[in-house]
Parts: sequence; structure tokens; C-alpha cells
Amino acid sequence: MAPITHVATESRSEARENLLLRMVRRLADSRELTLLILVAALAVVMTIAYPNNFPTGANLRAVLLNLAPVGIMVCGMMLLMIGGSFDLSVGSTLAFAGVWAGVVVGWWGWPAEAGILAGLLVGALAGLVNGLIVTRIGINALIATLGTLTIYRSLTYVTAGTGVTPISDAFKAYGQVADPIFRVQSPFWAMLAVVLIGSFLVARTRFFRQYYFVGGNARAAQLSGIRVDRLILIGFVITGTLAGLAGVLSAARLNSAVVNAGVGIELKVITATVLGGASLKGGEGTILGGILGVLFIALIENAMIINAVGVFWQGLVVGLVLLFAVSLDRFKTTGRA
Amino acid sequence: MRLEVKNLSKAFPGVRALDDVSMSVAPGEIRALLGENGAGKSTLGKIVAGVYGRTSGEVLVDGAEIGDLDEKAAGEKGIGIVHQEGSLVPQLSVAENIFAGRQPTTWLGQVDRRRMRDRARELIAQLGVEIDPSRRVADLSPAQMQIVEIAKALSRDLRILILDEPTAALTLTETERLFEVVRKLARDGVSVIYVSHRLSEIFALCHSVTVLKDGRHAGTRQVAQTDTDELIRLMVGREVHLARDVHGRAPGPVVLEAEDVSAPPFVRQASLTVRAGEIVCLAGLIGSGRTEFCETIFGARRKRGGTIRLNGAVLNPTGPWDGQAAGIGMVPEDRKTSGLFLGMDLVNNIAVTVLRKVSNGMNFSQGKAEALAQNFVDELRIATPGVRQIVGNLSGGNQQKVLLAKWLAMEPKLLIVDEPTRGVDVGARSEIYRLLRALAAKGVALVVVSSELPEVLALADRIVVMAEGRTVGELAGGAATEEDVLRLATRYTASVAEVRADPLPVGA
Repeated sequence: MAPITHVATESRSEARENLLLRMVRRLADSRELTLLILVAALAVVMTIAYPNNFPTGANLRAVLLNLAPVGIMVCGMMLLMIGGSFDLSVGSTLAFAGVWAGVVVGWWGWPAEAGILAGLLVGALAGLVNGLIVTRIGINALIATLGTLTIYRSLTYVTAGTGVTPISDAFKAYGQVADPIFRVQSPFWAMLAVVLIGSFLVARTRFFRQYYFVGGNARAAQLSGIRVDRLILIGFVITGTLAGLAGVLSAARLNSAVVNAGVGIELKVITATVLGGASLKGGEGTILGGILGVLFIALIENAMIINAVGVFWQGLVVGLVLLFAVSLDRFKTTGRA
Repeated sequence: MRLEVKNLSKAFPGVRALDDVSMSVAPGEIRALLGENGAGKSTLGKIVAGVYGRTSGEVLVDGAEIGDLDEKAAGEKGIGIVHQEGSLVPQLSVAENIFAGRQPTTWLGQVDRRRMRDRARELIAQLGVEIDPSRRVADLSPAQMQIVEIAKALSRDLRILILDEPTAALTLTETERLFEVVRKLARDGVSVIYVSHRLSEIFALCHSVTVLKDGRHAGTRQVAQTDTDELIRLMVGREVHLARDVHGRAPGPVVLEAEDVSAPPFVRQASLTVRAGEIVCLAGLIGSGRTEFCETIFGARRKRGGTIRLNGAVLNPTGPWDGQAAGIGMVPEDRKTSGLFLGMDLVNNIAVTVLRKVSNGMNFSQGKAEALAQNFVDELRIATPGVRQIVGNLSGGNQQKVLLAKWLAMEPKLLIVDEPTRGVDVGARSEIYRLLRALAAKGVALVVVSSELPEVLALADRIVVMAEGRTVGELAGGAATEEDVLRLATRYTASVAEVRADPLPVGA
């Protein structure tokens, strides 16, 4: 297969190409489509292979509930990565925010709403600090958030030692209330709301469109009158706030703020984001792609558990799929020159 | 003869940098290589020093062909070069830099630090200067760095020393000290090739001068038997191909008034007035602060002093967004790194400056953006299969048009264009000129920065010349010649050298 790089020659040569290459190209052009097909195929295969285990309400509810924290955070991470930056500290922020919600409600006896607000605020502050370090001091995002990853985790331990258990019944309700029809608990619905709103904002609005320019060429964006630093800062605050939301919901669902919550989850979030179409160079990706990435990883994990291949193999499969999806980029028709 | 260059040619892809150049330099001679930007003077120096290979021709040192060698091998043959951009590692000590890769070692292979330091001290002392060899290079002054570079070349048995624009970052006293060192080396029999475009320095330092023009040998003179006018004539002496066209344009009210703007270290005191419908060219040598001056007006560089007025209103930009909001557009010099989003399509590239205009309320409208892009594709005749084409796939000329379209989209009152035709072929070039003239005819105030004098003469209603971060003179576009511009741009450096020794303004 000859590498095709220019659109100019595409229309003429396309007729001569075989069907397979055309399909590969179509898939490479839309990561969302690729993921959608993979997700659907996996679901179909699992339904046929394990009709008694996979397509059950209990199983699907568990899958959707478990992917909620990652799904919420992937929206912020996607925004940051579109802008050419990223945040390793989301896992620690999640725990930090959850623990503060627990402290405010469980120890101080304040109302549940105050706890939620405190958690979101802690997340936003953590994001703000990340953003300030990256934009004002000028430390590279990888190093900066690697630093805050350990700092926030440490502050979590300092705040609550071994965690806060139980928090309160009123607080618990926010994480465990389920809708009457599908009986899926609130973290999933919160995630759905974040994804829908985020997807609309990033795909459609002028403000969030600017992130694509920042990631595409930060200097050109700056010289085009875009306030690059301000956007990156806002991106970090949004990411932090979403991590805070994930932390609060996780704590509420368990009615327990765990200090070790979210350890290593940042890599899962970044994996899903890259799988969903983001590039480390920035300028690419959509929220829809990100959430499909999360969904796909969640389904693979579920499949591995059901067919009892064992959790040890999960990482292998997820890693291979990630590499496969990214290597499809070679076939893109509209690649970078 | 110490150095003989015979019929040397060098072709880079698409450019003939050197074309059949011959020259010879005697031992102990200081030979200046003079020429405009891009005349090939640095290329010649770099070929002799082994930095570049050659396409054809001979290079003989003391009668022996040097062959194809790299910089290290050239060093071993006694050819040293001090680069324009510098080749020192700032984090390492002076001694380590001087002996980079050839540190004296003890029997186990460890670096013999004491011996290295002592020998470095000797070498530097030979140059009549004192610099502690254990200091970090980052802590040195620019002049001291030059001395270290020379000492590095001296650490071998030096026969030919090539200095490529060595005084660009030096003050007058530092320049004098460097000249002393060079003269001492020449007295010791080292042949020096001194690449420069500063005429005053050539008269102060060199014995003889070879002028290059468009990669060709334009003449060699003894310094004692020539003068500034003759050298400038040799540097320029070419036909002006590009026709002027000021048809149907009359300057309107003043749009931009910049007075005594400073943004140290590159902009010292620059003033500029531009009227609506007028094309003002900023001319000057590379490094004279033209781009930086424009960036200061636009807001991409922080202004430290002076005033900028746009349509009478004072403008104190805190960033490019302020310049843009005030109605200034700036087409940067390097379209790949600072102008375009190469991985994105035409629609996005053109819409970026007018996101508000192509939106419905808070929503970005793909339809409006596409229509806008299509307009510009038609109007500027951008050759592309469609508006959704990725800009990185277009040719240089078409990329430049996209870049212009991006700024035309915001309908600027003042458009600054930095090197409008860099890397653009001749056809696209005349179209870009046509476009800039049409803009002026529509009443846009234009500032064009250009290093190409024929371009300046073809476009400008007025020419403002900059040197050393200052605006040093103004010429009427119609009457000026390349010689006039060059004289202002180079002659001024002699007297300005004294000013440069002054303490920097507050905040520098």
C-alpha cells in the first residue's frame, strides 16, 4: 500500500484503490467512527458469546457506573490536550476533592450541598494552581503536574489521614440516587450531562474553538490575537473542577472519602483521551471521541472479566488497541504535511 | 598564498548561494567579506571552515587542497571559525568549551582539569585578555564569549581564522578590544577572514575587502584605495526589475503615529508615521530592529517607552489581542512557525482572526467560515482544491496568500507585513505586490518590512530606514535608489556605535 499524503491526487486515484484501503482511510479520517464500530462489534460479539452474562441490566449498569469518573475527567483532559497541554494530577485532585467533601460533611456536620461545593472548589483550586504554574512560571505541563500529582496526594493524606467513613446519609443520596427506568445511579447521569454539555461547547462554540488554534500552533495563535495563556489556565481550572466532581461523586457513591481514590487513574484518562483522537502535539480531538475511548476501554475490561481471561491480560489488550488506533493515523487523507 | 579559493560554487536546493567565486588571502592579511544579506558571504566562510560542503571549485590552504572535511577536521588543519550564532555550550566552563571533545586526559582517561585550565588560561592570555577559565560561559559578556570562541580556534595551530559578524552583539569598547585581538593574531601571521556588512568596521580593521553580490564575486579592493561609495556600488550594482506602480493612490489622514518607541534591547528609539492609503517600507539590515519595532506596535513585544497612536487614540497594547482589537494586522516573517496553522484547513486558518464574525451568537458557524474562506480563495486566486484543504499541503506562495487572507479578513486599518515575499516564487510575488497596492488603494495603511531592496523600491511611497534599533532616516519612495538606502543603513552604524556605549534606558 502506497502512502497517500495529498488530497489533490485523491479523487482520481481513489477509483483505482481497492475497497480495503478505502475503508481503512475512511476509518482513519474519523476516530469517532472507528471507535463506534469497535464498540458496537465488541458489544455484539459479547452478546452472542455470553448471552447470560453480558447483556444483562446488572452488568451494563455496573459498566456505566464504573466508567463515570474517567468519563467525567476525559472531558477536561480532552480540552487540555486539544490545546496542547495535559494534566497528570487529576487522580490526586479527585481524591483531594473527595476527602474535603467528606471532611466538610462528615466531620464538620455541614449540609451535603456544602460538601459538594467544597469538593468542586478544591478541584477548581487544584486546577488553578496547575494552570498558574504552567502559564505564569512557565514550567512544562508534564513536570508541573507530575509535581502537583504527589503534592495533592500528600495534602490528601495530611487532610484526612485514613479517610472519612461514613460521611452522611444526605451526602450518600447524591451519589446513589438512581433513575426509575434504567436504575443507573447518579454518577453516570452526571457524566452524561458533562459529556453532552462539553461536547456541544467544544464542537460548537467560538470560545472553545480557540483551543484548537492554541494546540495547532501556539505562537501563531498568540500572534492572531488569541490569549493563549488565559485559555490554558481556564483549561486547567475546568479539568480540575471536573476531577473534583468525579471525586465528590465517587465519595458519595461509597459514602466514604478514600485517600487512595484515583491512584493511577490519570493514565487511564490519558489513554482514553489519546484513543479518542487527541494528539500529544495538540490541535486534534473531540469530546465524543474521548468518551467513546472511555466506553471502549470499559467494555474491554468487562469482556475480560466475563470470559475469565483474567485481569492480568486487560492492560495488554488496551495497550494494543491504543497502538492500533493511533497507527491508523498513517492512512489519514488529511495528514499534516 | 595562505588561502586560495578557485571557482567555488555552492548550490542549496533552489538557490545558488555561491557562483564561481575566486579569491586569495596572504598570511597575516585581514580580508573583509562584504555583501548584502544573502550575498553569500557567510556561505563562503562556512565552506572554508568545513561547515558546508561545496558543489564545485577548489579550496587550497598553503597550496594544498583541503578536500571535503567537517568542522573538526578543518580545525585540525588550522582553520577556525567564530560563528554568528555562537558555538559555545553556556552551561560548561570556559576551559571545557575551549577543549570541547579534545580535553587533555590522564592515563586512565579522566579529564585532566588542572592542565586544561592552565592551557586555557595561556591561550586567553595570548589574546591579551584575562578571563578565568573555570567560569561558566553563561556568566560571560558577549565580547568575552567571542574571545573564548577565538581561543577555542587558537587551541589548534591556527592558520586561518574566520569571523562571521562577530560584533553584532558587542558594544563599542568591546568591539575595540576584539579588533586588538584580531590585529595581534594577524601580526603573528594568521590570515583573518572578516565577514561583515558594517562598512565602518571594515575601514577600521581590514587590509583588503572582497565584495560579493548575489553569490558572485563583485570585486576585490585594497581598503586604502577604496571608499564607502565604491563599496556600496559594488554591493548593489544590479538592475531593478520590479516596476513601481503608485497609480490612483492618494494618502489620507494619519493612521499610525509611533513616537520614540523603545523596547530594549532591539528597539531603542523608533518613530513612524503612516497615513491611510500609504505604503511605508521599513528598510534596514537584518538585526536592525525592524521586526521588533513592528511587534512592539502590534503588542507582541512589551513597549518600554514612547507613544503609539492609532487614528489619534493612544494605544498601549498588553498583547497582540490589543493591537488586533485596535485594528492592526500583522503578517509575521516566518509563516510556518508564527503565521499559519499548517495542520488545519484554509477555513480555520482564515477564520482565526475573525471568530466573532463567523459566529452566530456564541456558536462558531462552519457555514459562515467556509463562505469567508471561499471569498478569499476567489479574490486572492489561491490555488487549492478546496477550502477544506490542509494549509500545509499548499505551495509557499499560496500559503503566503492564506496568511494575508487571515489578516485581510479582519479588515485592518493598519496592516504590517513582515517580509511579504520570503520563499515565494516570482509569479506569486507580483500577485502579492498587486494585492498590497490594491489594499493601499482601498485606504489601508501599510507597513512593509523587507530585506530586499528592489522590493522596497518597488512598493514604497516612503522608506524609513532603521539601524541599531533606531529609525535613522527617511526617503521618498519614488526618488530613492538602493545606494541611498544602504548608505543610511550602514553608514549610520559608525556614529551610532558611540551611542551604543551609553547606559541602557531604565527597564532594559
